[in-house]
Amino acid sequence: MKKSISTVSAILIAGSMLLAACAKNDNAAGPSQASGGASPSASASSSASASPAAGAEGLILASDLSKLPGTAQQRTDTIIVGLTDPSGAFTPYFHQSGYDGNVSSQLFTPLVSTDDKGLPIPALAESWDISPDNLTYTFHLRKDLKYSDGSPVSADDVAFTWTILYDKAYDGDAQVNTLGVKGGEAYKEGKADSIEGIKVIDPLTVSVTLEKPNASALIVLGSDVLSKAYYGKEYKPGQLDYIKNLHAKPVGTGPYKLEKFIPGQEVRFVANEYYYKGKPKTEHFIYKTSEGDTWQFIETGEIDFASFSATQENIDKLKSLGFVNILPYTPSTYGYLQVNLEHEALKDKKVRQAIAYGLDRQSIYVDANQGAGAVANIPSSPISWAYTEDGINPYKFDADKANALLDEAGWTKGSDGIRQKDGKPLSIHYLGSKSKNTDIFIAVAKENIEALGIKFEPEVFADFNSLVSKVEGGDYDLVSFSTPMLTDPADGLLQFVDGEIKGYDNPKFKELYDKGLATSDIEQRKAIYKETFQLLNDELPVIFTNYKKTVYAYNGRIQNLSVSPFNGIAPSLPDWSLK
Amino acid sequence: MGTFITKRLLYTILILLAASLLIFSLYAWTPGDFITGNIKLTPERKAELREIYGLNKPLLERYGIWMKHALHGDFGYSMAQQKPVFTLFNQYIWNSFLLAAVSTFFTWLIAVIIGVVAAYRQYSWFDTLVMVVIFAAMSLPSFFIGLFLIKILAVDWKWLPPGGMLTTGSNATGMAYAEEVVRHMALPVIVMTLLGIGSLTRYIRGNMIDVMKQDYIRTARAKGLKERQVLFTHALRNALLPAITLVGFELPALFGGSLIIEKIFNWPGIGQLYMQSFGLRDYPLLMGFTVLIAILTVIGTMLSDILYRVADPRVRLQ
Repeated sequence: MKKSISTVSAILIAGSMLLAACAKNDNAAGPSQASGGASPSASASSSASASPAAGAEGLILASDLSKLPGTAQQRTDTIIVGLTDPSGAFTPYFHQSGYDGNVSSQLFTPLVSTDDKGLPIPALAESWDISPDNLTYTFHLRKDLKYSDGSPVSADDVAFTWTILYDKAYDGDAQVNTLGVKGGEAYKEGKADSIEGIKVIDPLTVSVTLEKPNASALIVLGSDVLSKAYYGKEYKPGQLDYIKNLHAKPVGTGPYKLEKFIPGQEVRFVANEYYYKGKPKTEHFIYKTSEGDTWQFIETGEIDFASFSATQENIDKLKSLGFVNILPYTPSTYGYLQVNLEHEALKDKKVRQAIAYGLDRQSIYVDANQGAGAVANIPSSPISWAYTEDGINPYKFDADKANALLDEAGWTKGSDGIRQKDGKPLSIHYLGSKSKNTDIFIAVAKENIEALGIKFEPEVFADFNSLVSKVEGGDYDLVSFSTPMLTDPADGLLQFVDGEIKGYDNPKFKELYDKGLATSDIEQRKAIYKETFQLLNDELPVIFTNYKKTVYAYNGRIQNLSVSPFNGIAPSLPDWSLK
Repeated sequence: MGTFITKRLLYTILILLAASLLIFSLYAWTPGDFITGNIKLTPERKAELREIYGLNKPLLERYGIWMKHALHGDFGYSMAQQKPVFTLFNQYIWNSFLLAAVSTFFTWLIAVIIGVVAAYRQYSWFDTLVMVVIFAAMSLPSFFIGLFLIKILAVDWKWLPPGGMLTTGSNATGMAYAEEVVRHMALPVIVMTLLGIGSLTRYIRGNMIDVMKQDYIRTARAKGLKERQVLFTHALRNALLPAITLVGFELPALFGGSLIIEKIFNWPGIGQLYMQSFGLRDYPLLMGFTVLIAILTVIGTMLSDILYRVADPRVRLQ
């Protein structure tokens, strides 16, 4: 037990920071799927995602189901999935933890879902129309939709949901309020009683008008629907506190209903008979809280589904269990090195390109990681519909090219072997979160970067929050980050226009960004994003590093399981059944 | 004694006030806040949220607001968990308490027995053997011994469950429920007892050896008392006197949760929740919990002072 405060705080600081990194950093690619509120769920079959670009293999079937532990064998109407740590706030748009987002994605169905490429497909909304000027979106709801308490879903509910996200008391991280719905600001400031741009046309039809076209709006707006009768009973503009009392008692449209939440232990669900596609095949579903290692729970059959980093070691160990199917998966995120563009040396594109050439990313992210990764060169995941390698410089590891670029940029080697310009030595202060991958990065990067005649000063943070605030303070040159889960290609580009990447101001890029959002025609957008990616790939406002690769291991008795790259297990869960 | 308690209470309040300000400042000065870590937010939205949460206010003003609510018995609302801090304490602390109470009980029971026997038979083979084993157990890192026992007892032999507090999905009630919890807590209790037993045994053994050399022990023996009575009534009671000080420290430990054990055994305790809240900078929860522990520490020390007086008439409280 605790001997003294100092020991405790030492452990605390060391330990907690690890967690911090997990909780915020990884929840996008976390133990299971969808993070955040805006991640839509539901809708039909998505075939297991084997992404060709990432070179993933297909599903590996269990070799010997007779090895299945008794605990798992005895379960006939229950499926258990591990989930790091849901907190109990299960209202979409209002939870602060991505894990609560996972829970609410089983309790709610969005209006519009996405397929395996991230393209919109109907869910609660049967269809939608987009006006020719790309400003007005009209959603047509399916007939006879019901909430889990049996009450009907109507267009009023949709309007109510969008409205409260514009309330000035709204403190969540939903994206709807960034779209610029007409009259949204006026409502927020209390100058209007309702939002001008939102119109309920009839009980099954609702439309919304934006101030500026935004192609990602369809999916952002087409998210979960909150019942006005339930969540809006006590609503007054500027007052949302009452909703906190409803977090633990959700009423939704998802395949499952909340049965019981046992804090720190499990979230129990029971099939929702009002689900629009019919009651799910398996009566009970449980998210089991599993902080830390999940191996022991998979091995003893206590959980049916868990995700692991796709290292050879993990895959071999999973294969040797014999009773799990193994499904490879590439999360829709990308990793990058944020570059401090306010520092003189790094303002120069050539220096950034030199670093990209000079870093052996293949060794760092793929080889040292036992294959659980791939090298990234653009701000898009290989599973996105916008992904392209056409005209993209792969920045293959090439120290000579890197040296030549640095020479060209005017950084010449001094007598001590360090490059300098105008009497200033070239050095790089690198920040990373404490993890095995950062250790690998530092080991290899130190060698690579010093070989170019650049001083390399790594600094490792056990606490993600401290790392970010150091970056915000500007005291760094390079820092490793990974994006949260990205649905629309524009999501991965947002950071270059919204001021997050300080010092990047390229009118050409801004024009392309707006153009990409101004049309909803996929072919046109593809072309625009190709050009955008080529531009960023050349300019490198950040240095793109890697894609993660994970594998899902699940009980071989489960049938019809698939994992949607953008929505996780939620879309296929209603079809899961036990053999 | 009455004036002593009043005086102590006054000091206690002063200490708590100073401690709360210090703790509040330390949390506030730790780089980053609740908003910083959320990578999904744009800089604009981050500023807006800081406004909503009042995180952009000056430190003393924030402390004042917190204190005002705390004095009204309101520890606030956890930002990350979206629940009142007291509700969360109620949901998690008792789980931690259960583990700590049971393992503390076993630790003391076993330590007293072994300590007394080892002291009585000082330098015997039993003494040597026990000390070697106890030191070995004490030196093992908790995560190692925890994971090792999970591997052997849960994964390979399947005697005990690998973690958690309940069998997943179980609807057991009454006795069946109690049995389930006992099975799940066996492993963490074993580990916590193993780790805690060493120092306490050494402590009791040392005190016993000292006491056994005292004149009154010789007198007791000379009176013709049974050895058993000499050992447990006369020697042990005196040997345990200094241990009362330890009781004061045990109190906060009972409620404080154990960070590592809870994580390894997936136990739904407050330690894990606290660690997580620290990473997220969930200020209300951090403050609430730390102040709670501070209060318990102060009460614990006061309690041990009073107990001292009760147990040993030679001690005067002023």
